[in-house]
Amino acid sequence: MRGVCTVNDLLPFLVVGVTTGSVYGLAAMGLVLTYKTSGIFNFAHGSIAAVSAFVYYDLRTLRGLPWPVALGVAVIVVPPLIALLMERVTRSLAAGTVATKIVATIGLQLIVMSALLAGYGGAALDFPGFLPTRTVTVIGVNVGIDQLTSAIVAAACALGFFAFFRLSAMGVRMRAVVDNPDLLELSGTSAFAVRSRAWLIGCWFAAASGVLLAPQLGLDVLLLTLLVVQAYGAAAVGLFSSLPLTYAGGLLIGVLAALATKWVSHSETFAGLPPAMPFVVLFAVLLLVGRGRLAEIGGHRPAPASKPLMSRASARITAVVAVLLAAGVPLVAASKLPVYSSALVFVLIFASLHLLVRTSGQVSLAHAALVAVGSSTFSHLVVGAGLPWLLAVLLAGVVAVPVGMLVAIPAIRLSGLYLALATFGLGLLLERAVYGTSWMFGATNTLPAPRPALFESDEAFYYVLLAFAVAGSLLIALVGRSRLGRLLRAMADSPTTLSTLGLGVNVTRVTVFAISAFVAGVAGALYASQGRSATGAPFLSYTSLTWLTVLVLCAGLRAAGPSLAAVLVAVVPAYLTDGTLAQALPVLFGFGALLVALYEARAAKRRGSGQPLDELDAPQGSRSGERLGVPGPAAQRLTVARRARVARSAPARVRVGTGLAKGATR
Amino acid sequence: MSEETDGAMSGTDPESSAPESSAPESSAHSTGLQIKDLTIRFGGNTAVDSADFAAPLGRVTGLIGPNGAGKTTTFNACSGLLRPSQGEIRLFGKDITGRPPAARAQLGLGRTFQRMDLFDSLTVEQNIALGREAGLARSHPLKQLLSTPAEMRAVRAATEEVIELCGLRALRHEIAGSLSTGQRRLVDLGRVLAGDFQMLLLDEPSSGLDTAETEKFGEIVTRVVAQRGCGVLLVEHDMGLVMSVCDYLYVLDFGQMIFEGTPAEVRASSAVRAAYLGSEAA
Ligand SMILES: Nc1ncnc2c1ncn2[C@@H]1O[C@H](COP(=O)(O)OP(=O)(O)OP(=O)(O)O)[C@@H](O)[C@H]1O
Ligand SMILES: [Mg+2]
Repeated sequence: MRGVCTVNDLLPFLVVGVTTGSVYGLAAMGLVLTYKTSGIFNFAHGSIAAVSAFVYYDLRTLRGLPWPVALGVAVIVVPPLIALLMERVTRSLAAGTVATKIVATIGLQLIVMSALLAGYGGAALDFPGFLPTRTVTVIGVNVGIDQLTSAIVAAACALGFFAFFRLSAMGVRMRAVVDNPDLLELSGTSAFAVRSRAWLIGCWFAAASGVLLAPQLGLDVLLLTLLVVQAYGAAAVGLFSSLPLTYAGGLLIGVLAALATKWVSHSETFAGLPPAMPFVVLFAVLLLVGRGRLAEIGGHRPAPASKPLMSRASARITAVVAVLLAAGVPLVAASKLPVYSSALVFVLIFASLHLLVRTSGQVSLAHAALVAVGSSTFSHLVVGAGLPWLLAVLLAGVVAVPVGMLVAIPAIRLSGLYLALATFGLGLLLERAVYGTSWMFGATNTLPAPRPALFESDEAFYYVLLAFAVAGSLLIALVGRSRLGRLLRAMADSPTTLSTLGLGVNVTRVTVFAISAFVAGVAGALYASQGRSATGAPFLSYTSLTWLTVLVLCAGLRAAGPSLAAVLVAVVPAYLTDGTLAQALPVLFGFGALLVALYEARAAKRRGSGQPLDELDAPQGSRSGERLGVPGPAAQRLTVARRARVARSAPARVRVGTGLAKGATR
Repeated sequence: MSEETDGAMSGTDPESSAPESSAPESSAHSTGLQIKDLTIRFGGNTAVDSADFAAPLGRVTGLIGPNGAGKTTTFNACSGLLRPSQGEIRLFGKDITGRPPAARAQLGLGRTFQRMDLFDSLTVEQNIALGREAGLARSHPLKQLLSTPAEMRAVRAATEEVIELCGLRALRHEIAGSLSTGQRRLVDLGRVLAGDFQMLLLDEPSSGLDTAETEKFGEIVTRVVAQRGCGVLLVEHDMGLVMSVCDYLYVLDFGQMIFEGTPAEVRASSAVRAAYLGSEAA
């Protein structure tokens, strides 16, 4: 890239990379171990790291306990409690769909993250280090003893674990399960033992990585929670399966990030690249590796949904009443009008997400980025290029479309968990590497965003937004009732079948992402215009997670869900006068989403439906003779054994439940 | 692990240029589905071993064999859900071996699933209508988005006809996920019958049906073949049904075609009896 580098130039970066990478590797191993044994990918893995770091901080700094005591409690005593909880929760989720499980652990993450934010505030705190910070010279490079120690501790944990994995009886059993998760079902009595031990180790690793990373990062809830997201990248290198490769992946990501720091140190444009490195890796692996190799485990097909709660006629009446009520808001709540204005924008945002997530069953965690693209584009068009306001708003939507199609690329190759991860990675990538460039919000992170001349006042603009909200909701409703809507709902149930009926499902996927992106882009433009400035701050990638949980929370309401979600996100906080309560609101969202997910999983289990994904005749992998998730001869025997089981228990289905990823705009 | 190619099936659907409804010359058309030297391996296990067979139009061809013989695997290869390790698949004279599932369906190949892969959250009527509508939408963004009134009429007519044919009138507004196994079989069959397919692959359509339902199913198949002149490839364990509806039979065992002939010849064959008895004894 940049002339000739001698090894000596690179050495410091390599050493730094390896020291942090070692800790990432540790965290990632915990993640993969728990995923393979429980079938549930724990989006809250980073939260465990954050909890232990904060426990240490609380005991050491706030209560003045000696550091060994604080450390012992934080990394040895607390993790087993979390492990117990996680084992219990994930066991209850076992029968749920992939979407259910994703939402559940995202809900958990939201609970922990917001609780920590409410308890300790959002500012980075000083982490009371317990290791000496003097430096020593290793192969000609100065390294802090603390960094060196944490790298060595992480490596020792990893080595110790590999030894346990190879040598002890429990380790061998665990390894068998990691190699072939189906075995856990067959191994009967020891399933609980294996799973709870795996959670224990996973939580210990997460906790250890938390206290090891905190000294370097400062004690920042968001950073810690999302930093173990680096583990996603490392896990991807191990193809979410191999533990040694996962650890190596951690090292690789550490080194790549460090090297990227060196290479971009002269460049404005790419300044955001080093922190985005793990997501580059994650995204690349998910896109490039044949999907036959990315075995998704523990997934179940969506359970049948119930008939709509409301008849079409009464839904129409409700909608009209809602619009009339909304039109009266400026008369009764003038002082809080901006709050209601942004709620109208959120109606659009949630409507577009609803189309994607619930009508068509795609899990997208990059939605905030699409809104952000709309926001920044709008400012460039209206201020930079001097376009008329309305045209700029619509074009902002149009510009978001190709970005939405970019998100759709993983949807063509991936589904379920891996789609969720890829979209989350893409969202983070955009946030870290593109938001700050002149393409989007620029280094200052704010751009001017005017309102149309005739509608300058809050009140007048409120009605503009109302018109957009109604038009956007109508558009989404029309799509839901068009041929595309019918195809999307069918696709949520079984894309494979749909393709054998002659539908090019990839075109369908891209189309729905494009429509959703257009509406999200328009919403972004309106959001900027409402606040008179475009900024990326409200659209960080974890916002996408919150939106998803809130949408799921309102799932029972079907077509009315997006409106209620908008009220929950935008209006309710403004009426919570108590600051702590407002901060704790996301905790409730998280709890709500978790409860909905648990309820769905229980309903699916009671019905005894929700066949495992790989019970389909149709193999999803496309490699020669290789079916998704069932490689090797052991699996073949299993297929036969299971088939017998399935045949015996002919599925008796009862119509209940709401079906998490299901169409609702019927 | 040696084959790194998965583009053809996972990539975007190439715009299929083959018109589905053009009246093909009868000579190429009457060939129906032809399989040559089809081999499918899962790792070291050979599920289908250089099988050859042909399912012509206007006839019901049976594919029978004990559990695990490779029948469903063959279907998956024909409909494009699996890539064969070796061999060739021809539909109406066209080589379709490398085409994605949607393109094959657009050429006129329809199938049902042994596990009745219904759209569980939709009603029976919607399931059946989608059998036709998916084929109309094809891989065209605009066609996927909107339907013309003429198309809607065609969909409605096909749906009504199939609901009548399969006797699903009473169930039409039920959610598919709430049906019994036998009912689900009928919906799966109805869905593929609603489509514009000339070649139908039916995977164990009678399992889960009671005797009366099975009989009715046999009638439906014979009627459809007679009316539409389409071809049917039938995988079935119910020997009574197989013997009564099939014109010609292929017998698969451990992935190998061990026998072929008319139902009477198959009944008389000692090799076939040995295969079935052997598998039961095991
Ligand atoms: N995806 C797969 N991965 C590995 N082995 C597979 C896979 N699918 C099928 N097999 C194996 O291929 C062989 C043939 O299976 P197939 O499902 O085609 O049998 P079948 O004839 O349809 O049996 P049945 O009458 O039980 O439906 C079996 O040994 C099965 O275990
Ligand atoms: Mg079969």
